[in-house]
Amino acid sequence: MSLPKKNNINVYRQVGSEPSSKELLERRQELLEKITQHDTYLPDDILHDDLDKGMLEFVKDNFKVISDGEQIPIIPKILTVQRWGEISNNWTFADEDRNIKVPFIAIIRKPDVQPGTNPIVQRTIPERRQFHYSTVKTWDGNQMGANVYKIPQPVPVDISYEVIIVCQKFRDLNRFNKIVLQKFSSRQSYTLVKGHYIPLILDRINDSSPIESLESRRFYLQNYDFTMLGFLIDSEEFEVKPAINRAIMLYEFLDTKNYTKKYENKSIEIITATFTGDGSQTTFNVGESIGELFFVAINGQLQQKDIDYYWMYGTPRITFVTPPIPGATITIVYYAGKSNIFQDSYGRLLFFAVQYYEYDGSSLTFTTDHEIVDVIYVETNGLVEEEINFTFSGNQFTYLIEPIIGSRIGIGYLR
Amino acid sequence: MENKLPITRLSKFFSEDDYNLHIQMGQEYLHGDLNMKLVLYSVDRTTTDTDDVYAETIKSNIKYKPPVEFNAIVKVDEAKNQAYKSGQLRYLEPGNLTFSVYTKHLEDLKIDIQFGDYIGYPDSEKRVRFYNVVNDGKINADNKHHHFGYKPSYRTLICAPVQENEFKGV
Repeated sequence: MSLPKKNNINVYRQVGSEPSSKELLERRQELLEKITQHDTYLPDDILHDDLDKGMLEFVKDNFKVISDGEQIPIIPKILTVQRWGEISNNWTFADEDRNIKVPFIAIIRKPDVQPGTNPIVQRTIPERRQFHYSTVKTWDGNQMGANVYKIPQPVPVDISYEVIIVCQKFRDLNRFNKIVLQKFSSRQSYTLVKGHYIPLILDRINDSSPIESLESRRFYLQNYDFTMLGFLIDSEEFEVKPAINRAIMLYEFLDTKNYTKKYENKSIEIITATFTGDGSQTTFNVGESIGELFFVAINGQLQQKDIDYYWMYGTPRITFVTPPIPGATITIVYYAGKSNIFQDSYGRLLFFAVQYYEYDGSSLTFTTDHEIVDVIYVETNGLVEEEINFTFSGNQFTYLIEPIIGSRIGIGYLR
Repeated sequence: MENKLPITRLSKFFSEDDYNLHIQMGQEYLHGDLNMKLVLYSVDRTTTDTDDVYAETIKSNIKYKPPVEFNAIVKVDEAKNQAYKSGQLRYLEPGNLTFSVYTKHLEDLKIDIQFGDYIGYPDSEKRVRFYNVVNDGKINADNKHHHFGYKPSYRTLICAPVQENEFKGV
């Protein structure tokens, strides 16, 4: 008769028995993972493969059978017919014929996943309604707000697994059986899937040992049927909505990948900022005060201030009435000074002027009221022209490509 | 001392000398011409420890007698593609090894092949496969194994393949 085992309590270490550095490192890593495992306020996805992984971990951690001084190998994958060929060809515990060596333990999942029977999470709410999960404070730099996170009820599922032991010794069957029955003495046990305890139920134990054939290799084969009472949480169904009216909430985005600046004139720093629309973003922030906003264009189409967009003098944000379509190029050309007074490198004061013309087909050269120092933009019927399409000299401005007759031509220039 | 009952049947047509001559000729063909060699790894049942309840033993506790080479006529069945569980956990292992051996040959070598013994038979120059005796053919008093109705002359044994972690030679 063996002696009763002493409880190995080492929570409080004796003075002088310092924990090894590896122990502390592992613990620190564990704490770090626990802290950082949730990157949002919302719960993590739990899908079929997460539940399968939970079952796999449960078997690997709990069903350790020692036979002939060695642990009976557990195939570290959930098996399907297709997978088996791959595993048996790659696994360490295969013989020269690439047959898996007996004994071994394998986990097979039945392909069909049934609606859940767990009474705690059985369906009670029809039509996948969203429910309040949490309210998270937000701060956009100017205003404090809140977002409401809503998720639907998780979907209960029952997944059936067979854990199979193939061995040649009756004692191995006994050992395995003892472990399973001890673990499931209260009918169910639990596996941890992304922080959730998922119940497992032992349904039945079957023996499928090939006893009818005497003239073949002999082995024991027993199936342990388990049902996992799991549930599915799909992040695709999560909903985040502002707690207050979105109309008065301003979002700022400063995505460096979409943000480019071009200095067109070193002395007065005319900057072109370019963004790409995503279909939902309405406010675009150039990251600095705009002293003079020359124009705003979407895909080259000039936008009208106070009609298509809003801009308050001195602020860095352009807010569109409707979000530009996904992939649209938003161009904002502005002067980044704190006022709208321009001074060139000689100290001369410059002024921004806009003049409009109607092309009547007679001449491609237009005369401005003042001498042109620099052209900021030229637009034809609201479309911004590329610089290669025009030239200027003195107070003469010349189109190189003829627009259609009747076109409205605008020129924004420094004088 | 074993009781010996002389066999006198068919004595008008067939005698012990005739029988011995036939066996000698057969052995010459089998051992000389065919020369199929197998190796017997006989389990020493007196020194092998088994447990009291299931009569099982761990691999390291199985003791073997010295291996003995012998001749027999061999037939190996086709490999079978099978599964531990219907449609799953596939394995492909060689078919059974069936061989017939003259009883006189076993007597000359002073060996007996019993249920549970292991047989080695080379697949190729590089590989010997091992089989476990699942039918030792000790009861061979049937017409097939009888030599012209005089007396049984050979045994037919059936062996199932074993995996290398069960046995791979001593």
